[in-house]
Amino acid sequence: MQQFLSDLFSFKDRPRFERIGFFIFLILVLIFPWIVTSAYGRAVMIKFLLFALFGLGWNLIGGYGGQVDLGQAKNVGFGAYATALMIVWWKVPFWITIIPGMIIAAAESFMVAYPMFRLKGHYFAIATLCVALVWKELFIFWDWTGGARGVELPIRSGADFVYMQFNSPIYYHYFVFFLFLLQFFFMNWFRKSKLGYEVQAVRDNEDAAASLGINVYRTKVINYTITGGLGALGGSFMAVYYLYIDPDAVMPLDLSILIAMTVMVGGAGSIWGPLIGAGLLIPLDMYLGAWLGAQKRLGVDFMIYAVIMMVIAAKEPKGIWGIIERVIKRRSTPLLQKGS
Amino acid sequence: MELAVQLIVYGILMGLIFSLIALGLSLIFGVMNIVNFAHGEFLMMGMYIAYLLSTYLPMDPLVSLPISALAGYLLGIGSYRLLVHHILRGPMVAQLFGTFGLMLFLRYLAMYIFTPDVRSVKHGILVGKTLSLGWISVDASKVFSAVICLLAFAAIYWMIYRTKLGRALRATSIDAEAAKYMGIDTKGMNSLAWGIGGATVALAGALLAHFYYVTPTVGMLFTLIAFATVALGGFGSIIGAFIAGIIIGLIMVVSGQLVSELKFSFIYIVYFLVVVFRPRGLFGW
Repeated sequence: MQQFLSDLFSFKDRPRFERIGFFIFLILVLIFPWIVTSAYGRAVMIKFLLFALFGLGWNLIGGYGGQVDLGQAKNVGFGAYATALMIVWWKVPFWITIIPGMIIAAAESFMVAYPMFRLKGHYFAIATLCVALVWKELFIFWDWTGGARGVELPIRSGADFVYMQFNSPIYYHYFVFFLFLLQFFFMNWFRKSKLGYEVQAVRDNEDAAASLGINVYRTKVINYTITGGLGALGGSFMAVYYLYIDPDAVMPLDLSILIAMTVMVGGAGSIWGPLIGAGLLIPLDMYLGAWLGAQKRLGVDFMIYAVIMMVIAAKEPKGIWGIIERVIKRRSTPLLQKGS
Repeated sequence: MELAVQLIVYGILMGLIFSLIALGLSLIFGVMNIVNFAHGEFLMMGMYIAYLLSTYLPMDPLVSLPISALAGYLLGIGSYRLLVHHILRGPMVAQLFGTFGLMLFLRYLAMYIFTPDVRSVKHGILVGKTLSLGWISVDASKVFSAVICLLAFAAIYWMIYRTKLGRALRATSIDAEAAKYMGIDTKGMNSLAWGIGGATVALAGALLAHFYYVTPTVGMLFTLIAFATVALGGFGSIIGAFIAGIIIGLIMVVSGQLVSELKFSFIYIVYFLVVVFRPRGLFGW
């Protein structure tokens, strides 16, 4: 138990500058709503935390697992729909709806993963994309999900901690921050767990991993299943935050791409990658998008995204975190070794 | 019965366009083992060229066929030289995101220039005309497109299997390393594959614009259809792309008649089932 707790909260294996950086980040997020009072600034922060949450989940399969999944939005959709429909139909408290949402997403991922992990690389990426699009078309087609009209949640006044609906964004800020921390510490535990090491071994060299007795197929399937469940958590939050969901809002292709992109740009396979990626792309999206949209320049923000993505792909596949790590390493290398 | 025949004719005509779209993707994949996510965006560019020429220069959209093909050729070669060449050495993830970035860039460039409005080609010799053959009536533009697709296919087939250049291209696709030692300019071959891929798909776009609406986001759907087609035909196989295109066209038309809201889902499911249960497709090796 003590070992588990220390694995959960300890960053002892990381260099000191990372620990200090993360500590400063936590403090900043904690006091953020008291510094920034504009509604828009707070909304940007909440969206940043939400995408950092999504990114942490996707990092499991895309970063540690090295499998490009372009269908994470379907899991977000499962979570959002599970929460919204259960609240609308049966008035189930929010905290209870999270669990079936995650279970449904994980179960679906498990069933799809079974045939899908016969594929690798591009074939796998396109297959995930196809599965997500089929689900989206089904959710639009079905009547019981509200079809294309979507689902509207009943509005409650004041601060409701049972259904997690609030008037003030401050509550939502701490709410999503709490979910983010849950997942962050889970990821911190995961990367040091047996499964975490197995997943990374499979990513680096499947044959070598198999020769060490790791069941490659099983590892991938479990990894994909957990990723699915984690995606649903953020989806549940989206349902009570936006109070209105439809298939175009919670399961579009663009969402899958944005989730994958934040992690790739930030640095896949590092616990800080999703934070850096979301911290760069979400404010860029919200401020630049709003500014350019006001000037009727649609699409320029995505063009900038695309250029960042192409440059990262061509020059530094490890993302921004890869650049930071290299700079730090060069600085801390003793003089004697520098010449070699 | 009439409906069935009508559907089959439509399916085959649409299918021939899908074949031409898939041809370039299959060729690029065969030669250099990379998947071009921006394929549908090349198609969209061909469609916009046809739209622009027919709307702003009062010219028939048929004139845009060679112009689109040339633009597609240049775009293909440009993409290879500026982007793809640099991501080839990187890991698979980087390759994937590189062409994905290209896709986003072209899509939102179109969004910026043309706004998200839905547009369509309104004037032209073939636009809106129908041919009747007994009790079957079909769009003249679709018949014409099908003929052009057949010709383009024949031309590419002849180039690849009957010319020296084609032999060099095939050698590169079988073993790039060995081809290089035999004095083949493999970089040039890669570039050529992207050029031909871009030209054929932009040509298909100019044809498609005759009877399909144009928006900046139209590309993704056709990219996915092309993936399904190429997977079904076998990655890298040209004959496979041809036959699979017709099959996909038939599937789409028939399923669209049964459950129109889910017609694209059927294509995605075909992709999924083929790559999982028969990864080499119908004609792959």
